[in-house]
Amino acid sequence: MDLYNLGRVDWIASQSLYHALALLGREGLIICYPDSPYVCLGLHDDLDHEIDQDFCQSQGIPLLRRETGGGVVYLDDRQIFYQLVLRRDNPLLPLRRTRFYQKFLNPVRAVCRDLGLTAEIREPADLMVRGRKCSGNACGDIGECVAYVGNLLLEFDFQTMSRVLRLPHKTFRRFLRQAMRSHMTTLADWCGPEVAHSRIAGELIRNFAWELGEMVPRIVDRELEEAARQVGERLTSRPWLEIPGRRPAARRVKIAEGTYLAELVVSPEERYLVLKQDETEIKIRIEPFEEVAVDLNAYQGGKSDGSQGVFDS
Amino acid sequence: MAVKEYLIPENLYYDQNDFWIKIEANSVLIGITEEGQKNTGDILYLELAPAGTVVRRGEKIGSIESGKWVGNLTAPLSGAVAESNPAVTRNPRLVNRDAYGEGWMVRLIMDNPDELGLLMGAREYEAWLDEQLKSEEGIG
Repeated sequence: MDLYNLGRVDWIASQSLYHALALLGREGLIICYPDSPYVCLGLHDDLDHEIDQDFCQSQGIPLLRRETGGGVVYLDDRQIFYQLVLRRDNPLLPLRRTRFYQKFLNPVRAVCRDLGLTAEIREPADLMVRGRKCSGNACGDIGECVAYVGNLLLEFDFQTMSRVLRLPHKTFRRFLRQAMRSHMTTLADWCGPEVAHSRIAGELIRNFAWELGEMVPRIVDRELEEAARQVGERLTSRPWLEIPGRRPAARRVKIAEGTYLAELVVSPEERYLVLKQDETEIKIRIEPFEEVAVDLNAYQGGKSDGSQGVFDS
Repeated sequence: MAVKEYLIPENLYYDQNDFWIKIEANSVLIGITEEGQKNTGDILYLELAPAGTVVRRGEKIGSIESGKWVGNLTAPLSGAVAESNPAVTRNPRLVNRDAYGEGWMVRLIMDNPDELGLLMGAREYEAWLDEQLKSEEGIG
C-alpha cells in the first residue's frame, strides 16, 4: 500500500489529494492535517440550509464540499486525518461496504489504546471514548475507487463549530455547543494538549500496516499534484458548493451517531429544543423572545415520544 | 427464491449493482433489490435523474447516501428516463421498506432491448450473490 505521510498540508490539499488518488485509480493511505481552518460539507449537504456564510466570510473561513458522505464538519490543525483509497475491485472490500469500517477503524482504535484509552465503534462509523465521539468517519465512491476518510480529534473548537452552522436562534446555538461538549471528546481531554501530530501519525501508520500490509512511503508526484490542483478547484468552486442538497423541514444537527439536536416548532409561540440520544429525549420549551440557559447535565431525559417527526428523515 | 434471508422475485432481471429491472409494456421500471438496500443500510438521501434525461448503460442516473456511504446509481440499461419516483426522493426510506414495490426509482424507455441479454435472471443473480457472500466470508 502506498503511504503518503504528509504532515501539515495546505487546507485544500487535505481533501483534494485523496480525491485525486481515487480519480487516478491509485490506491494509497494519506496521513495529514490542514494548515488552516475550513468548513467541509458532505456531498449532499445544502449550503444555504447548513452554513452561516456571512460568519464564515467575516472570519475568513473557507468552504469545501467533499465527495464522501456525512455532514458538515469544521476542520483545523488540531485534528489529524487518515484517508484510505482502495479500488472497488480490491478483494479487501466486502460486498457490504460499511462492513469495512471495522477494518478501517481498527488502527485508530489501536492508537487510542496506545494512549491508554478504550475506543469503541458506534456503527456505522463513529469512534467513541467513554460514550463520547472522538473521531468521525465517512466513505464514498469516487471514480473507480472507494475513499474511506476520518479524523481524530486532538482538540476541537466547539465554539467555532457551533458558529459556522446556520441555526434558527442563539439559544439553539448555545445548546448545541453544550451538547457537543457533552457528547464529544478529544485526546486533549484525556492526555493533555501536548499530544503531537507526529506521534499520532506514527502510531496510525504502524497500525494501518498491521491491518493492511506493508506501507511503501511515497511523495506527492507531479501527476498527483496536478490532479489534486484540478479537483481542489472544483471542490471549492461556487457552482459545486451551491448544488442543492437535503433540506429537512425541521432544523436538526447530528452531534454523534444516534445523537441529534433539533428544533420542534408547534406554533410561533410554542417551540422546543429536543436533544435525542437513541431512545432518550430531552425536550425544553423555548419561551418567546427569551433565551434559556440550560445545563444539560441537570436533565435526565425521558423516553422518546417521537417529537412529531423531527427525527424521522 | 431466497438467498439467505433475501427475496429475489423470479419475474425480474438483475445487474451486479443490485438493481432489479421489471419489463412493462414499453418501458422498464428500475429499483434496488432487497439485498442491495440491506447492503446500503438506511437510505437518507436520493437524487434521481429527471424525466427526459438520456443515459447510456453504466452512466449515472442518480446519487444515494446512507448512514456513512455515498455513491452513484448507474443505469443498468440505455434509454431515456420517462419518470423518476418522487415518493422515494421525498422519503428515501421507502426503498428500505418496500424495495420491489413503492421503492421503485426510475421508469426508463429502453434504447436497446438487446441489452437485456447482459442482465441476470433470478437464478443467476442468486448464484452471483452467493459467490459474493462466500468471498466476503473469506475476507473475514
